[in-house]
Amino acid sequence: MSEHTDPQPVPPASVVLVSGGSRGLGLAIVTDLVDRGVRVAAFARTVTPELAKLAAEHPDRTHVDAVDVTDHGATSSFLRAAEQRLGPVDGLVNNAAVGQDSLHAHTAAEDIARIVETNLTAPLRLTRLVVRRLLARGLRGRIVNVTSICAQRGFPGLVAYSATKGGMDAATRSLARELGGRMLVNAVAPGFFASEMSAVLGRTQLDQIVRRTPTGHLTEPEEVVPVVRMLLREQTNINGQVIVVDGAASV
Amino acid sequence: MEELSRAQIRDLMAQVLRNQGRALPDDDAAQLREIGFRSLDFSELALRVEDETGEELNFDAPGLRRIATVGDVLDFLVELQRQ
Repeated sequence: MSEHTDPQPVPPASVVLVSGGSRGLGLAIVTDLVDRGVRVAAFARTVTPELAKLAAEHPDRTHVDAVDVTDHGATSSFLRAAEQRLGPVDGLVNNAAVGQDSLHAHTAAEDIARIVETNLTAPLRLTRLVVRRLLARGLRGRIVNVTSICAQRGFPGLVAYSATKGGMDAATRSLARELGGRMLVNAVAPGFFASEMSAVLGRTQLDQIVRRTPTGHLTEPEEVVPVVRMLLREQTNINGQVIVVDGAASV
Repeated sequence: MEELSRAQIRDLMAQVLRNQGRALPDDDAAQLREIGFRSLDFSELALRVEDETGEELNFDAPGLRRIATVGDVLDFLVELQRQ
């Protein structure tokens, strides 16, 4: 039995589900897609005023709610509600994640479990949910996993976090194979952002990374957004790849 | 098991440094950077305290970054045992 389907291109995603879409990179992705006329369903543990405002401005093209990505029942209900309002979800951005800032030897076992549950198990389950619905309807779609440079390079204080991001990079490749061209599955791996999760690194380490970066600055969410958009919307043959956006800091 | 006193932790800290051929100054205000006590040395010391007390000591790295002197190390570990 062939793994391949007809050599038809996967159309641009028209309804995109973004997890962790209330702030930082997630919010930037949601805003960018809505600005370009894409219908977007976004959830996060808390709906920030910024996300609520965006939804209020575009009620016909957005569906937002407060959902914990690890709550499978809630993500399932959210997806059904989003599809009733916006139509079948044919794009998924797995962005929700928790950070880490502790040496492995001193990270509580429960914290390791929580990081793995949120950053690896939950996105795999959400992906399964979306893929099942797409396959059942005979639709094609696109998946973008937001991972991290931590999956490819080592950084102290980020052991469990790095393991989950490496896991998602690996899943990206296998999913691309498994879905036989009916879905394009890729990952975007940003370098460290100047804000948010990069509180995990000290000022000295961040300065070191900047010195080692040919473009001379840490990555900004706005620099990652066009890559995510391209993977969701443009006609390319990129599949099963991890695209690093870090100004060549890791090269 | 009972928690360790500041003095007992100081002894363990001296052992960690002694194993690396270095000495722990008597002055609590001595800078860790100057005596070469790094974050993994801190980790080793915390694990030695764990061995003695039988209690796991877990902590986030940002708290560690505020530690600059020998006294900071001792205070941090005394406080951590009470959490």
